[in-house]
Amino acid sequence: MSLQDRVIRTIEKNLEGKERTTITPATDLRHDLGVDSFAMLIIINALEDEFSITIAEKDFIGIAHVADIVARLQQHYPDLKEP
Amino acid sequence: MAREPFYTGLVVDKSLTQKYDFNPYYAHIESSLGDPIIIDGTAFINLAANNYLGLAADPRVARAIALAAGRYGASMCGTPIATGSMAILTRLEQRLATFAGVEAGIIFPSAYQANGAIFLSLAGPEDLIIIDHYAHASLIQGVRLAGCKIRPFLHNNMDHLRKVLSKTEMYRRVFVVTESVFSTEGSLAPCDEIIRLCTQFNAVPVIDDSHGIGVLGRSGRGVLEEKNVVNFEGIYTASLGKALANAGGFVGGRKAFIEYLKYSCPAFIYSTALPPPVLAGVEAVLDIIDAEFPALSEKMWRYKRMISQGLVASGFNVTDGSAPITSIMVRDLDDCARLAKMIHEANILVTPFVPPSVPVHENKIRLIAGANLSEGTVGRVLDVFQSIGRRMTAV
Ligand SMILES: Cc1ncc(COP(=O)(O)O)c(C=O)c1O
Repeated sequence: MSLQDRVIRTIEKNLEGKERTTITPATDLRHDLGVDSFAMLIIINALEDEFSITIAEKDFIGIAHVADIVARLQQHYPDLKEP
Repeated sequence: MAREPFYTGLVVDKSLTQKYDFNPYYAHIESSLGDPIIIDGTAFINLAANNYLGLAADPRVARAIALAAGRYGASMCGTPIATGSMAILTRLEQRLATFAGVEAGIIFPSAYQANGAIFLSLAGPEDLIIIDHYAHASLIQGVRLAGCKIRPFLHNNMDHLRKVLSKTEMYRRVFVVTESVFSTEGSLAPCDEIIRLCTQFNAVPVIDDSHGIGVLGRSGRGVLEEKNVVNFEGIYTASLGKALANAGGFVGGRKAFIEYLKYSCPAFIYSTALPPPVLAGVEAVLDIIDAEFPALSEKMWRYKRMISQGLVASGFNVTDGSAPITSIMVRDLDDCARLAKMIHEANILVTPFVPPSVPVHENKIRLIAGANLSEGTVGRVLDVFQSIGRRMTAV
């Protein structure tokens, strides 16, 4: 599974159980998924578990879209291999 | 530094209130919380206050407050560690502890202040606080202030909480923070299960029972009575400004914890104690609860059922909460503003919740019918919503 797919799957599993929209790289976390600051923290924590890494919250400031998460992961954790 | 840019930078987004020429917030109420209340000279039905048992304007409570004012005056003009810790305060602290089912307690000026301050005294960088995603602003602020690791868990989701709890060995102390009743929707947290999980993983549960005290449990003693919890090993907080119809923030728990807070929590030590008349007001409310809870609670729940069922019959989408709170769910922000305005024009005071108080697309209009309302008043409310429901489907 690609890094992007793993990110999307992790987000899907860590949202409040409301109605679902299909998540794509262009999905806006706040406007499309209602992600607030605690929801963002839940996602970051889940990514830490998914990739066995420790994320510094400051590295994830200013995230708007799903694609931004993928980009930040690639930027700060270049060793994340696509299995 | 030029000061003008600072002030012009302080902007409140009023686009929605301007668009509908209606602002539901900061209403000018000119009466007590009676039935009706008076806003700018007009009679309104009050479905906004957290006056669950309807005791805020009860003449017996008002008399007790007046008597205390006559006896003790307005204030002790001191913080609890100085002149504020008068006999009536320590007596009420112990009474509330016994009432809620904890060993000991102290009273802060407000529950916001208590929730905002206690974590700073208890947790630091080596610790972890796990907190419900939808916890109250005061808990979030308090938890953030502590400067420890924070892991929110999905709202009331015990599988997620268990998963988070299973990875906590590296922390010195672990806390799990939640509310008994989530007040925007009236959902109850599974506090019994949360307490069990905390025991299993050696975490300290922290429960804010602000909307449960005086409401939940066989005799109105709150969440610990409701869930049959004895020897509670956690931290309990509750506002005295809702069902208890006065003001203040109670914090309860084991004696050692309370004694520690009394000498370590700056927001308690250095803030003027609540005035004696307020404490006397809480005592009077507790007397009434002890004597009359079954009758008051029967009314509170009957009104809640009438309103929930009436709203559903009129075509509204409501939360199926298990607290005496009914919230109309409105996905679209503009629809929410329009509905709130229609309700206001029918002279009913309600509480609209829009982001950031609730998640985007989860706007709510909350209705709470206190036990002081008459059945006729609740009937009038249902008539109004039936007519609004018809107008909304007609559009
Ligand atoms: C869950 C909850 N906790 C705490 C508070 C704050 O209580 P107080 O008004 O006593 O500061 C409120 C609301 O006021 C609340 O709803």
